[in-house]
Amino acid sequence: MDQNNSLPPYAQGLASPQGAMTPGIPIFSPMMPYGTGLTPQPIQNTSSLSILEEQQRQQQQQQQQQQQQQQQQQQQQQQAAQQSTSQQAAQVASGQAPQIFHSQTLTTAPLPGTTPLYPSPVTPMTPITPATPASESSGIVPQLQNIVSTVNLGCKLDLKTIALRARNAEYNPKRFAAVIMRIREPRTTALIFSSGKMVCTGAKSEEQSRLAARKYARVVQKLGFPAKFLDFKIQNMVGSCDVKFPIRLEGLVLTHQQFSSYEPELFPGLIYRMIKPRIVLLIFVSGKVVLTGAKVRAEIYEAFENIYPILKGFRKTT
Amino acid sequence: MASTSRLDALPRVTCPNHPDAILVEDYRAGDMICPECGLVVGDRVIDVGSEWRTFSNDKATKDPSRVGDSQNPLLSDGDLSTMIGKGTGAASFDEFGNSKYQNRRTMSSSDRAMMNAFKEITTMADRINLPRNIVDRTNNLFKQVYEQKSLKGRANDAIASACLYIACRQEGVPRTFKEICAVSRISKKEIGRCFKLILKALETSVDLITTGDFMSRFCSNLCLPKQVQMAATHIARKAVELDLVPGRSPISVAAAAIYMASQASAEKKTQKEIGDIAGVADVTIRQSYRLIYPRAPDLFPTDFKFDTPVDKLPQL
Repeated sequence: MDQNNSLPPYAQGLASPQGAMTPGIPIFSPMMPYGTGLTPQPIQNTSSLSILEEQQRQQQQQQQQQQQQQQQQQQQQQQAAQQSTSQQAAQVASGQAPQIFHSQTLTTAPLPGTTPLYPSPVTPMTPITPATPASESSGIVPQLQNIVSTVNLGCKLDLKTIALRARNAEYNPKRFAAVIMRIREPRTTALIFSSGKMVCTGAKSEEQSRLAARKYARVVQKLGFPAKFLDFKIQNMVGSCDVKFPIRLEGLVLTHQQFSSYEPELFPGLIYRMIKPRIVLLIFVSGKVVLTGAKVRAEIYEAFENIYPILKGFRKTT
Repeated sequence: MASTSRLDALPRVTCPNHPDAILVEDYRAGDMICPECGLVVGDRVIDVGSEWRTFSNDKATKDPSRVGDSQNPLLSDGDLSTMIGKGTGAASFDEFGNSKYQNRRTMSSSDRAMMNAFKEITTMADRINLPRNIVDRTNNLFKQVYEQKSLKGRANDAIASACLYIACRQEGVPRTFKEICAVSRISKKEIGRCFKLILKALETSVDLITTGDFMSRFCSNLCLPKQVQMAATHIARKAVELDLVPGRSPISVAAAAIYMASQASAEKKTQKEIGDIAGVADVTIRQSYRLIYPRAPDLFPTDFKFDTPVDKLPQL
């Protein structure tokens, strides 16, 4: 991560903030990991959540065990070649991640010779997560639509001067106590508060969000404030994808009552609150799924891999 | 007081011949009688019954045999409250015209808000003529939510409206959010939010609404005959079975089905009228109607008498 808290000179605006990349890779590749690099392990279980987690895990277990029994022969061959497995737990594996991101490099990254930057773990399996065979993975990758991040510029700001002197800034203190600034390059919007804290929204990837935040900080710096770049943190990530088949929401709400809320009078989609990666999914009849609430990209992928077999079970047959 | 065995230190009145016999209290005569020998042991026991002198021609409103309010003890805890009634007669007013003995408030100070909410629930239910069982269920739900204190920050009226909505749903006669909005001062958005929070707090769930739940109410409000109502129910059910209206709210589908059924019968209703009763916009009815119109001949029940044949149904 960015160790130095001061901004690099703006002339090298395209310099990678991390500097540990192989040369020639454009910064905006969606493959670029922004964090420490390892697939983050799921969040610690609080005692109140563990019961619901168990329930969700059991429900996913049942679904996956049914599918596993059907395809057992293929599984045995593949699993003999792959890592060792423990077939009891049926959580989606971090071990599955390399397979997903192999497909990702084929479809999304434009570079031919890139090894998947999302690391394949040296130890093949963590004890919690079993290998789910490759034939089970959905092959659909959720696309990120929005990233919300915050950063502390580390100094008090005078919003009035910022609003008067900066371009594309609006400030209406009676309506909202922050300057709303927009830039075009990663098309983003920032809310800049007088305490020096800033919220940056609208970016489509983690790198773009960071770059945009740095651009805003640069603008504030040029206006004469001693802006720094402290504690950049991504607060929320929103992704969406399409499972390409219609879904019976009424069936889904009957079986997953503790996690789903479907009120057609209030909202046409089903709101599924997944416990294990703490993600909220909006599932629609058309088959489109919106995932939100993630702090890291892997949570979105993991949540989608968890929900995909469940949705397949509720496919509309007509 | 004498015959209960609370404390052995208290002098207990017993029959001299049968000290172990439990005395029977005859409160009408004010006697304590030994059941073994019939001896009257204590007399002039104070009568705790009702006022004796109840004449039949007394004012029927004031029932003197009531010594306390008839509040339901299950709901508000401890209804041992006494209210000073409004004064009648000239003597109860002091020189300025204010009533003396003004202390009608400050009773049951805990749960005052709860009593207020119960009153509000009764008012709301009264506006849409809900039966007593729904009101009781609503009161119970409100009490559970109130005691849990997890929704303490929300307006009590909002929680009361949401409890009313849940009670109607649980009793199998759901009301739409808009109908509850019509009798409450809270917005639909806030009622919806409180509804979800209450379901989470009480860890209950409710069944999904179906088109048939609303048919009888909407059709009666539109004064449609039974044939049309049955036809509309059939149309809506078939439309959902054949998946002609994916993703549409059941209320909109029901409204469109009522429109189709009424247009095929002698009692034609306009989209605007149906929209007013059902709480859906007439463009919504139009959208859903367009989806079910192509399969209209399949949707009607087989024994339906068409006033307007199927091919002459309006096409919007």
